[in-house]
Amino acid sequence: MEPDVASLNAFVDLEQRLQTFTRVLTTKAPIAQTSKELVWALNKAKLYRYTPVVPAKDRYPIPLLLIFAIMNRPSILDLRPGHSFVEFMVGCGYDLYLLDWGAPGFEDRHMNLDDYALEYLPRAVRKVKAISGSREFSMLGWCIGAILTTIYAAMRPDDGLRNLLLLTAPLDFSNRNGITFARWTDEKYFNVDTILDAFGNMPGEMIDYGAKALKPVENYISNYCKLWDNLDDPEAVEAWHAMNTWVTDIIPMAGGAYRELIVELYRHNRLMKNELVVRGERVDLRRIRASLLTVIAAGDHITPPCQSEAILGKVGSRDKELYRIPGGHIGIMAGSAAPRTTWPHIEQWLSARSR
Amino acid sequence: MNDAEEKTSKPFDPLEPLRAMRDAYLDAMAKTMVEAVNSEAYAQATGAMLEGYLTASAPMRETLDKSMIQALQQLSLPSRQEVAALAERFTNVEMRLDDMDAKLDALREFMHPNGSASKSDASQRADAPATPVTKPGPGTTASANRSKARRRFVRRGAGPPKR
Repeated sequence: MEPDVASLNAFVDLEQRLQTFTRVLTTKAPIAQTSKELVWALNKAKLYRYTPVVPAKDRYPIPLLLIFAIMNRPSILDLRPGHSFVEFMVGCGYDLYLLDWGAPGFEDRHMNLDDYALEYLPRAVRKVKAISGSREFSMLGWCIGAILTTIYAAMRPDDGLRNLLLLTAPLDFSNRNGITFARWTDEKYFNVDTILDAFGNMPGEMIDYGAKALKPVENYISNYCKLWDNLDDPEAVEAWHAMNTWVTDIIPMAGGAYRELIVELYRHNRLMKNELVVRGERVDLRRIRASLLTVIAAGDHITPPCQSEAILGKVGSRDKELYRIPGGHIGIMAGSAAPRTTWPHIEQWLSARSR
Repeated sequence: MNDAEEKTSKPFDPLEPLRAMRDAYLDAMAKTMVEAVNSEAYAQATGAMLEGYLTASAPMRETLDKSMIQALQQLSLPSRQEVAALAERFTNVEMRLDDMDAKLDALREFMHPNGSASKSDASQRADAPATPVTKPGPGTTASANRSKARRRFVRRGAGPPKR
């Protein structure tokens, strides 16, 4: 009996699919490839300047500094060529800088939010201004990066911050029933000191578990089913591979900053109440005068929209805008729709305020 | 099978017949799980598990730490705490250097108000040679360059899966 050619082809195809599936799960995709130069470093923090691609005379004079969260790599902003916010903004003519906080070691376990916001950030800002030759600058903070930029903007209102962009910013913790993390970290159930006494820093694996456990079926099962279903689409496979590379590159969070985040913000909502005291001084949000754009992801389960809405009523800025967009916490900036929705909106908003 | 048939035929996927059923099941499961993880009971259970694990493992961790410190002492090697203290001192030195750099910049600016902040910074400045993606033509304006880049991005579409 002769073998059925169609069946043989089917098995060859299945083998190829399995090979692709294994490759994507076991290898790292090349991410964060936009050309950049290290211009400043302090401890683990590194400030990069992206190589401009637009002639100097055509560039915006106000530089833009990107600040991402302290417990994830900022490579999500520059995921892969052709699908990178960084590449997009550099192409639009911005003098672009990225502050990469790096991975904290045991020796950084005492670092607090104020160390990031008032020790590292102002030094990086000084360098940005020195290199760009501009006295003013714009700053984009995403997730915990938005908390840091907000504290900085309130504490250093005269540093030359012209535009402040907050992406999925977890600033308001008053609606405790609407924030799953607030329930999990309630003092009745969660002892932050026991964890930090044991590990020094908050382990990246625990942070990663926390983020994934918010939607366990999607993150642990559906995500892989989606990959399997799209194995015939090389573009979708590469996109998944790049995102998976970023998601699995986990880093710890400095113990001091984690304690402050849980105790001062999640439990007592001190920032939004203007009660947060850093270095002996109260963080008063009314001192923020920069033009403000708050981007909210309507389907965000990590930072629900209720956490980012109230800031507009608290700041002293006259020029402020809330931009609500469908999508998730990461999807609004790294999803397939981002180049058609979020990025152009941010660019247009900033463009009008960067001359 | 001829070539045309081969190209149009769907590749063999053993999960295909079960896909609709699988998706429906996963959707239902996802809703149930989201409700479960949002409950007080889940917060209480995970908190208790974590506390239990950390409390139970604490004596072992302490013993391990003590014996490791003793072993390192015997080998004349610094302990983790000592290396961490050294790293903190390095960071302090880095900060002092950065402070000096800032003061030098301020001094330079005071002496040459219209000059660059620092020589090293000047070399990295905005007027540093750019690597143009597109060659600007004779009539090309700044905004035309920028909108060209915007269009290029909007055309490339598809991206990664949602997290």
